[in-house]
Amino acid sequence: MGATFVITLREAFEASLILGIVYTYLEKIGARDSYRYVTWGGVLGLLVSVGMGIGVGYLSGPLLDLGPDLVGAAVIFAAVGLLTWHAWWMQQHARAIRGQVQHRIDQARATQRLWMVGLIAFTGVFREGAETVLFLWGIMAQAASTNGWGSLLGGVTGVATAAAVGWAIFHGGKHLSLSKFFSVTTVFIMLLAAGLFSTGIGRLQGLGFLPMGEPLWDTSSLLSDRTVLGSFLTGLVGYRARPSALEVIAYIAYLVTAAVLLWGRTPRRGGRQRQTAISTG
Amino acid sequence: MKRCLSLLVSLAVASTWLLGGGVLPANAQTEIALTIENNRFQPEEIRVKANTPFVLVITNKDQGPEEFESHDLRIEKVIPAGKTVRLKMPALKPGTHSFVGEYHAQTAKGRIVAE
Repeated sequence: MGATFVITLREAFEASLILGIVYTYLEKIGARDSYRYVTWGGVLGLLVSVGMGIGVGYLSGPLLDLGPDLVGAAVIFAAVGLLTWHAWWMQQHARAIRGQVQHRIDQARATQRLWMVGLIAFTGVFREGAETVLFLWGIMAQAASTNGWGSLLGGVTGVATAAAVGWAIFHGGKHLSLSKFFSVTTVFIMLLAAGLFSTGIGRLQGLGFLPMGEPLWDTSSLLSDRTVLGSFLTGLVGYRARPSALEVIAYIAYLVTAAVLLWGRTPRRGGRQRQTAISTG
Repeated sequence: MKRCLSLLVSLAVASTWLLGGGVLPANAQTEIALTIENNRFQPEEIRVKANTPFVLVITNKDQGPEEFESHDLRIEKVIPAGKTVRLKMPALKPGTHSFVGEYHAQTAKGRIVAE
């Protein structure tokens, strides 16, 4: 039971973080009525995950050999792109929200294409969704055996725990001031996206599209990313116990690029440096 | 917005290029059979030539799906029940590279010895 708990916890944690961020974001800009985009995105991600889980069972030949991996890699990079885009938008708003409360909400609604958060929710759920579905399906098929029900219970509890933790973290976000929330979340999203980006690069290495090297360091004896804490850190900031050089380079390159994109141009108006946002993260 | 869109597009182009490049037909490579049965790998030790890519032909004879996973090699591959998957493996450095069946990690363990 313990093992299946950790596996589904690990798979579902990232999705619950992403859902937590976008729900709280909508709440913060006073667009609760747009929750449906996130809900639909998440539900659609779940349905497509089930579909892909079933689909993989029927695929064969080259379609099964490479298809799911290519889809998986593409979804990772799509998620990185969407999250970057979202952080960039939040950054624009953070600059604009020094004015009236009502003004900032109107502005957010007028300029933000809120349905895009639905896409973020979709990629967040779909990324590990198909694997989680297959995994739960597998242990359900064996539920009749001696410890089958325990495994199933562990798996379901893992998903539920991930959801609860994601919810708790970002429920806490409700009590932050709007600009603080934006700053903290922007940094959060950047770390999340940097971790995802380096995961994607690692995946391409595993698929043989990029050369694989020796791990740059090995902290698996200190903190293995297979443990509960390790997997939380993996979801949050992209922690790796044995990263390849390319993964580390990708991680840093992403952070630098995103920081330049987000904070590189200090607006003439307002004047205040946005560097404060970095230090609060 | 424009900048973001162009970032998205270039990311998409870059990944398509990277992915497309790898799909080109490879020359005939050594194929090594690996079977999953009763939540165990058979054989549990695979010997390959170092620095030479090869193909793992994994057959899952169990009732449920299994995930071939090598953490060090960044490989995760689900093999549905009763299916066979041809998994292209990169050239490996000399040494032992362990893998597990993630869905039954207590029993499904194996290693690839590259020499």
